[in-house]
Amino acid sequence: MENLLNLAPALLFLAALLYISYWVQQQSSEARSSNFVKDYFIGGRSLGGFVLAMTTVATYSSVSTFVGGPGVAWQIGYGWLYMAIVQMVVIFLVMGVFGKKISLIAKDIDAVTVIDIIRARYKSDALANMAAIFIVAFFCATMVDQFVGAAKLFEAVTGYSYMTGLTMFGIIVVIYTTIGGFKGVAITDAICAVAMMVGMAILFYCLLDKAGGYSAIMAHFRANDPAMLEPLSRGKMPVSLYISQWLLVGVCTLALPQSVVRSISYKDTKALRQAIIIGTVVIGVVTIIATWVGVLCKGVLTNPDLAAYGGSVDNIMPRTIISVMSPFWAGVVIIGPIAATISTVSSLLLTSSSSIIKDVYMRSLEKSGKSLSNDGVKRLSMIFTILLGFGIYLISIAPPSVIWKINMFAFGGLETAFFWVMIFGLFWHKANSTGAICAMFGGVAAYCITMALGFKVFSLHQITIGITTSLLFFLIGNAMGKMPDMETLKLFFPDKYEDD
Amino acid sequence: MKRSEQFRQANREAKTTVVATVVVILFWILAGFGLAGSDIVIFDTPIWVIGGCIVSWLFAVAVAWWLAEFVIKDVEEDSAAEGGGK
Repeated sequence: MENLLNLAPALLFLAALLYISYWVQQQSSEARSSNFVKDYFIGGRSLGGFVLAMTTVATYSSVSTFVGGPGVAWQIGYGWLYMAIVQMVVIFLVMGVFGKKISLIAKDIDAVTVIDIIRARYKSDALANMAAIFIVAFFCATMVDQFVGAAKLFEAVTGYSYMTGLTMFGIIVVIYTTIGGFKGVAITDAICAVAMMVGMAILFYCLLDKAGGYSAIMAHFRANDPAMLEPLSRGKMPVSLYISQWLLVGVCTLALPQSVVRSISYKDTKALRQAIIIGTVVIGVVTIIATWVGVLCKGVLTNPDLAAYGGSVDNIMPRTIISVMSPFWAGVVIIGPIAATISTVSSLLLTSSSSIIKDVYMRSLEKSGKSLSNDGVKRLSMIFTILLGFGIYLISIAPPSVIWKINMFAFGGLETAFFWVMIFGLFWHKANSTGAICAMFGGVAAYCITMALGFKVFSLHQITIGITTSLLFFLIGNAMGKMPDMETLKLFFPDKYEDD
Repeated sequence: MKRSEQFRQANREAKTTVVATVVVILFWILAGFGLAGSDIVIFDTPIWVIGGCIVSWLFAVAVAWWLAEFVIKDVEEDSAAEGGGK
């Protein structure tokens, strides 16, 4: 089944993204020649509602939305869809809680990154550097994970080798992120989000067609597999798992830096308001269609024993795609998961790069009284972004086992690191740097150690331990630290410390 | 709008968003687990799936619309003139 026809759709799609980011670069050349950092890392605060919504959703939806998640849904049934839909709150939650305040503060201090905000609030380089290290380590592991997942899927669906797929979209996403900067990432993300929905809708249709209609699949469940129709799935989906998922993929995603940074980037309140509605609609469509497809796969791949499908839930989606579609349409549908992958990687790559260049390197130059010219920053940022991206590509060819260990900690680790530091930083005037450092370090340490040991409380995911420990450390540390100075208080809490 | 007013407004929006999230969670529990005992089937689908997944999501969209329309207010006007606070 290896022929150019099933490679062509993805290639055309990637070429289009490449062209768009080249076009963005041409459009922004003037803004970049005056203030490169602001335009490159945050798009000059110009995002409208539609692009803001789509880039937030696309960054959030990853390859696991299309492969791992539906694979488990095949095993569990509708319970998994019921769990996955908890993501419906994440867009309005992050934008409603942080959207307005972060943008107000970012305009005053000319912030470009989330770390800029943290540094201004807590006045601590130690905290800012720790945050940068966590962001870069966890993001790099996640990027490798995304590349590997998508390349495996590509291999299974198109018949082309792992290396072909990885090289094709790996190199292209690195190039388009490097030249397009934040605005390029945001616009290509929006296109990727549309591609995800279209790809999944086609798959949904073909799947129903092949299985003899929706009623036939449901009749099959009622007769042979009633657990698929129960929320607790006969014990496979306990209530503790629902609670864990509400925290891990719902509420605690609130402070993830790759989402929060989008609050710095939008143009005006109108954009924010539009994005809250569009984002909630789109994340629901993406989640429901992708996970529902996973449930309905059971109507085509009917053997209940996972061993019949290679012993991994990750094989479910590729096998479904191959069995229900012609090679050409399989080549079209594969664009969906590739789009989810590259839209996540592009945002993580740019945020990692901004953490190193802006938050660590330029800051240390600033402290020693030196500064870089605009052209110098431009060269450095672009070279660093492309080198980091290329490094991630090389590691993805044969990832060392340490990457999987870091990746296991990545998502919950980032949530633990930033949750209280962001919430208290922005909404509690007494929060100080001692508390924040204790919370970030202690929380992540507690989370990673309990994850590594497999230790759980009430069989809840370790995120509960991470978040709780982080909160306690914050309160204890805070009691030992000093109140923030008046300048910080006036900047972050003018409602309490007015200077009139 | 004065800078202190803008921040008060931002605090109100954040609090209302948190309350809205709790309301969505409660709705999700009632429309899903709450209906799980029922044998009613709509379009071949158990009613708790329709309630817990589709209707809950539509409810979340309605909540998002309400937040956008009635809670989150424009604070831009005059912000350039007196909003700097510096």
